[in-house]
Parts: sequence; structure tokens; C-alpha cells
Amino acid sequence: MMLASVFTKTVRDRWKGWAIGVVSLVLMLLMAMSAYSEIDLSVFKAMPEAYRSFIGITDMVEVGSLAIRALYGTYGVLAFAAMALAMGAASIAGEERNGTIGLLLGNPKSRTHVIVAKAAAMILLAAISVLALWAVTIPVSAMLDVSIEGLDVGAFTFHLLIYSLFYGFMAMAIGAWTGNKGAASGVSAGILVISLFAAGILPLVKGVEDLVKAFPSHYFDGSDPLLNGVDWGDLSILTAISAAFIVVAVIGVNRRDLKSQTVGITLVDRLRAIPMTQKIIDKLAGSARVSGIWIKTASEYQGLLMVTAALMFFLMGLMMGPFYAAIPQETLEIGGQLPEAMVALVGGGDISTPEGWYQIETFGLMAPIAVMLVTIAVGAGALAGEESRRTMGLLLANPISRARIIYEKSWSMVLLAFAIGFSTFAGVALGSAVADMGINVWNIAATCLLQVLVGLVFGALSLALSAGTGRTKIAIFGAIGAALAFHLLNSFAALSDTMARWAKFSPFHYYLGNDPLINGMDWGNAAILASLTLGLIGLSVILFQRRDIRQTG
Amino acid sequence: MSNQLAIHTEGLTKHYGSVRALVDLNLDIQAGEVFGFLGPNGAGKTTMIRTILDEIRPTNGRASILGLDTHDDAIQIRRQIGYVPGDLAMYPRLTGRDTLTYFANLRGGVDWSHVDELAERLNADLSKKVSNLSSGNRQKVGLIQAFMNKPKVLIMDEPSSGLDPLVQRELQKMMRDVANEGNTVFLSSHTLSEVQRVGDRVGIIRHGRLVAVESVSDIRSKAVRRVELELDGQAEASVFERVPGVREVNVENDHVIMSFEGDMGALLKTTAEHYKVVDIHTQEADLEEIFLAYYRDEDSAI
Repeated sequence: MMLASVFTKTVRDRWKGWAIGVVSLVLMLLMAMSAYSEIDLSVFKAMPEAYRSFIGITDMVEVGSLAIRALYGTYGVLAFAAMALAMGAASIAGEERNGTIGLLLGNPKSRTHVIVAKAAAMILLAAISVLALWAVTIPVSAMLDVSIEGLDVGAFTFHLLIYSLFYGFMAMAIGAWTGNKGAASGVSAGILVISLFAAGILPLVKGVEDLVKAFPSHYFDGSDPLLNGVDWGDLSILTAISAAFIVVAVIGVNRRDLKSQTVGITLVDRLRAIPMTQKIIDKLAGSARVSGIWIKTASEYQGLLMVTAALMFFLMGLMMGPFYAAIPQETLEIGGQLPEAMVALVGGGDISTPEGWYQIETFGLMAPIAVMLVTIAVGAGALAGEESRRTMGLLLANPISRARIIYEKSWSMVLLAFAIGFSTFAGVALGSAVADMGINVWNIAATCLLQVLVGLVFGALSLALSAGTGRTKIAIFGAIGAALAFHLLNSFAALSDTMARWAKFSPFHYYLGNDPLINGMDWGNAAILASLTLGLIGLSVILFQRRDIRQTG
Repeated sequence: MSNQLAIHTEGLTKHYGSVRALVDLNLDIQAGEVFGFLGPNGAGKTTMIRTILDEIRPTNGRASILGLDTHDDAIQIRRQIGYVPGDLAMYPRLTGRDTLTYFANLRGGVDWSHVDELAERLNADLSKKVSNLSSGNRQKVGLIQAFMNKPKVLIMDEPSSGLDPLVQRELQKMMRDVANEGNTVFLSSHTLSEVQRVGDRVGIIRHGRLVAVESVSDIRSKAVRRVELELDGQAEASVFERVPGVREVNVENDHVIMSFEGDMGALLKTTAEHYKVVDIHTQEADLEEIFLAYYRDEDSAI
């Protein structure tokens, strides 16, 4: 009986996501190991100790450690932490948003029981997934004849488990305390990303190396568990904070009134309630906001847009300039000599040059993620979102065609993507100017345009999935999965001669493939990305016009 | 224009896999009438409505609204209709007025004095966010949305759900007003009394099939009622069983409970001949009993 309890129902609702995560990671590991095994690592092995310590590899330079570290340490963390985080955020706040919490608590179960049952389900699923990942890594390596001798995969995956759960409990605590699912997943995902970023950059900057200890990621792989085994000290810190999160969650949900399908009050709402500002705000936020489909759609994502745009402008754009200036040139030059394999994952380039620095730190991973965050959300929400919220029937009772709904929503997706692109451009241009890095402004603009275009491709893909299936989950995870796979294909395929031609099938190849920060605009690449987007929007129209509108998610 | 059919369906059929949600539905609804579409939960009422609105596509058959094909001319149709979905959901972050503004803009504008008038009639609060409204008050916003563009055909799927009786009555008046202006109301419902109060004709649907289309007065005479009489002395079942239309008489001391289908006057006359009536209580039969009545008719016709 899978519906026997809150615990089993949660497991039943969520196991597929985790299973897909494990399978994709294993597939990626296969791809990464086969790509890495074709690279000649002897140059790398010949590097002096100092060079290697720069990237945290002290005495072992093997395909196995490179692939596992790159995959499980980056994609694994993102996948599992995101999964745990989604479960944590949904545990109380999600049920409130769906309006099902009343029904659930109408049964003789306490709020504490619900929290504990959902936490237990999360621990179980995460543990099984990590165990599976560990178990599969050994035969996969053997199959590809990659040696993982001397590597403590078990310790590494155990760290991965505790670290992922940490974010799950964080989201659970925030969600239980506030009842706001958006805040729960948003804040924890933000900390996850910033922490990942801090772990990469802070150790390089002189004088602030120790600051990295303030970020949770330090307790995940700061001790390098793949080589050194489990660090019980670090893990007990993460576990203690996780336990505190559970306590906060239990207290939080028991102390407050439960919500039922309500939404938070925004600043605009408060201003609207004050007679003095009411008229102006009504004009700005009220009637203007609902004057058409595209404006309304764009306004729905203003929160996400503002946070993402601010992050790109300040952190990934403006601050990267002074960071570059703060890092000793010798350190950067060591980075510049790193084998391609190490930097391919983050966009490639020579980190010791200003262009390479921005390409690796900002444009490689974070810039396309920022655009996709918004475009995929809009693409999935555009049709499937209205259907799962059961508003599509009402919308379609108006004299507008299904095609027009798609065009208008695509238009807001384009506008939002350009807003992110523009904030990235402004941040990078300013950062480069402040640190006197002298990057060509037109090249920055070109790179940002390509960044917008590659983000739109995956937004349009989620729109097409949304149009074809009407299911938000398929649209979101389908597009994210495709983006991850294509990013990986582009990163790793380029490294090996036999696989290089496959990179051409990845949209990311047309984003940074021609080093636009150095070489300027490649209109051919832009045209390919734009046509892909238009093609997918066209496909969405065809798919959406053919099918029945769904009434539920 | 007066003889043009408001809604017309021909062999309309919708299958979901092996589930037959709608089977060979033939229906003609005249302009200017309030047509009640009656059926128990899951009978296919919503499927029928969603099909003629081009939300879902029929497996077989076709339909037209105001002489326009529901698929080919969907946009032209939508210009002239109002729609209240069953189980209404709206944008939680918008206020009632924002919601109406949005839909008004999509329609190219509405007469706002009419909107205010509707809001007043329904006693609706348009300043609150939809998410902060009770389900009844949310329903009012949905209703205004459907009435606000003075539609030629008003399609409503269980529109009175969540409304208190006072507002329900106002809604019924509003529907009558629409019909009196020569426009059409298609009212799906699972309560007979609602349809009886406002409708001209009733279509009864069960398991996806149209069982009958009747005028409201006809269906009322067919309707089985549960009649409970409190008398001044010990009741005798045989007295009542003689009255035509009486069935299933249960006697308990001075109480009689029976199913009755027919002329209420005859029953009261017979009762008054034998007893003094202390109290009388009648209850309308539920849908299932009406269906049974129809099936009995079908059986006896064979």
C-alpha cells in the first residue's frame, strides 16, 4: 500500500525524479569518462605540485578522479540538492499553496508528524539514490577500463548525500516557518548557487581565503573526501545545522496559522492599500499590468527577473572585475596553463586573460543558467502552467486564438531574456572598466546577445514541451535535462578528437564556440540559435492547436 | 436571426481512451431560451461544454454556436459568448477588478458601467485579491466576467456553486434578463430545482448520453416527490395506495411517507377525506429518482 501514510505517499510522488537524476548522472559519467580517457594527461601529470594544488588535485591525476569530481561534485550536487530542495519546499508550503494542507491535517495526524514523515521520505530517497550512484560507479569505471583505485567514491558520495539533504532541510525550514514555497526554494537555491560560486573563487583571492568557511560548500568538498575519505568533522557541522533546520521547521509550522491557497503580499500591494499612493500604483501595477497577455506574463516573473538580473549585474558582472584584479597574476597564469579538460566544463578559455576570466567565471555557466532560469519558467508556465492552474479555459473563452497566446507569451519570454542579457552586459562592461581590464564593449554586447539567444532556445524547448503535453513538470525537467546534456556534450565532446564533431549538435557550441568575447559577434551562430528558437515556437503552435486542453496538472 | 439556433450539435462524441465521455449527442437550443443541462456528477456535462468551446476536440460529430462552427470559427464565436467554467479558477495574484480588466482588454473593451451594475447586483467585492476571496465571492467575479460583454450565448457550468441562496436568486434573475433580451443561456447543473426555477427546457444527460429533452413544466409533472404527512390519527396505507401516482407507502403511527408522482391536488383531496392533516412536508426527488422515472417510461414503452 503505497498510500498507507504520509511517508509512503511522499516517496511514491517523488521517487521518479530521483531515479531520473541517478540515471542521467550515470549516463553523464559514461560520457565524461570516455571523453577524458582519450585525453593525454601526461602533460598534466608532469605539472609541479603547486599547479595541481590550484585545482585541489594533490597527488592523483587520473581520468577517474577528474570525471567523478567534475560530475558528482558539480552536476551531482546541483541535481540532488535541487531534488531535496524541491521536496523540502513542497513539504508544508507546497501543500498550502495547493490548498491540500487542510485535507491532510483533517486526518488524525499532527503537523509535526507530517514534517517528520516528509523529512524521512526525503532522507530515504536521497540515501537510495546516492547508494545507487556509488554502486554503479564501480562497474561503469570497470567497463570503460578507467581506474578508480585509491579513490574513496563511497566517502565522496556520502558527503554528497549529507550536503544535498542540508539544502532539503533548509528549504523545509523556510517553507514551514513562512508558508511561502517560492521563498523556500528561492532562498535555498540562491544559497546553493552562491556557495558553489564562492567555493570556486574565494580561495583564489588573497586575504579572504578563509571566508570560504562561511559557505556550506566548504564542508562538502573542502576536505577533498574523494582522496582523503570521510571528514567527520565537516559532516557533523552540516548534520548539526540540518538538525537545527528540522527543529525550526517543526516549531515554525506549529506556531503559525496555516494558509490555504493564498499568495504573499508584495510591496506593490502595500502601496496600493495606502490612499496617497493608490492612484499611481493602480496605474502602474493594476490596469497596465493586465492590459494584455504578454504584459501580464512578463509582470508575473518580475520577482525572478529582478533577483536574477541583480545577481548577474553585481556578482557575476561588476564584482568579477575587482576580483580579477585582486588575484595574483601568478595564480592566474597557473590557471592559464591548465589542460583544456579542466576548464572545458566552465566554458573554456584562458583564465589569465581578462576575456578568459569573464568567459570562465561569468559566461561559461552562470550567464546561460540565469537566462534559462527565466525562459524555462516562462516557457513551462505559459501553457502548462495555465492549464494546471485551470485558468486556460477562462482565457480561451476570449476571442483570441491559441496561436496568439503562444506568440504573446513568447514575446514576454524574449523581453525577459533580453533584460537578463542587458543586466549581464552592464555588469560586465562596468566591471571591466572599473578594473581597467580593457575588454571590447562591443564584444561584451555580442557575447550577451548570444547568451540571450542560447537561453531562448531552451525556453522555446520548454514551451514546445508545454504545448505538446500540457504538463509543467515535463516542460521544466525536459528543458533542464536537455540543457544539461547539451552543455555536457559541448564541454566534453570538444576534448576528444573522435567526439569533436558531436559538439556541433549542441546549441552551446554556437554560444561560446567562436570565443565572442575575443572575436566579436558571429552572426552565423546567432542566426542558428535564433532559427532554432523560432522553429521551436512554430512547433509549439502546431502542437498546441492539435490537442485537448488539460484541466489539471 | 430569430430562427437561428443558438447551439446545435450533431452526433457529438468524445472518447477518452476507452471512456465514453460523450456519446452521439444531438441537441438544438433556440435563441432566447434558458436551457438547463441536467445530470449527475461525471455525466458528461463539462465534457460537452468544453467540446463546444473548442477546448477539447470531438472524437466524432460536430457542433455550432450561432450558426458558426465551433472549431473553424472559434474566435468569432468567443466574441459573442460568456463562459463560467465549472470549478472556477482564476489568477490568485490579481484583484477582482484586475481580473475583469484583463479579460475586458482581451475582448477589446467592455462597458464598465455595466460591470459596476453587475457587481452591485451580486454584491461582489472587486478590490480584493482573488486568492483572498471565499469561493462564493470568487464565483461572483467569474460570473461578472461572463456577463460583462452582454453575450449572445451564455454558457455556465454549475454557476451557482458556492453562492448563498440570496445571490443564487439574483443570478437566476440575471439569467432570465439575458433570455428576455433574446439571448440564450446554457445552464449546466446537477440540481433540478435550480433548472426548474429559471429554465425553459431541460436536457437530461447520463453516462454521456442525452436521455431526454423536455420542457420544464413537463418534467415537473413527471418529477417524483417524497411526501411526508403528519395526521391526527393512525394512518392506513391502503388509503393512500389508491391514489394514482403513489408508490412505496410507509406508515408509522400517524406519519405517512410515500413517493408521489402526479397531481398533488388529488392526493390532498383523498387525504382530507380521511384525516385531518397536522403537517405536510414534501421534498423534491433527487436526480437519480427522476432518471428512474425516465427509465420506467422507456421500459413501459417497449
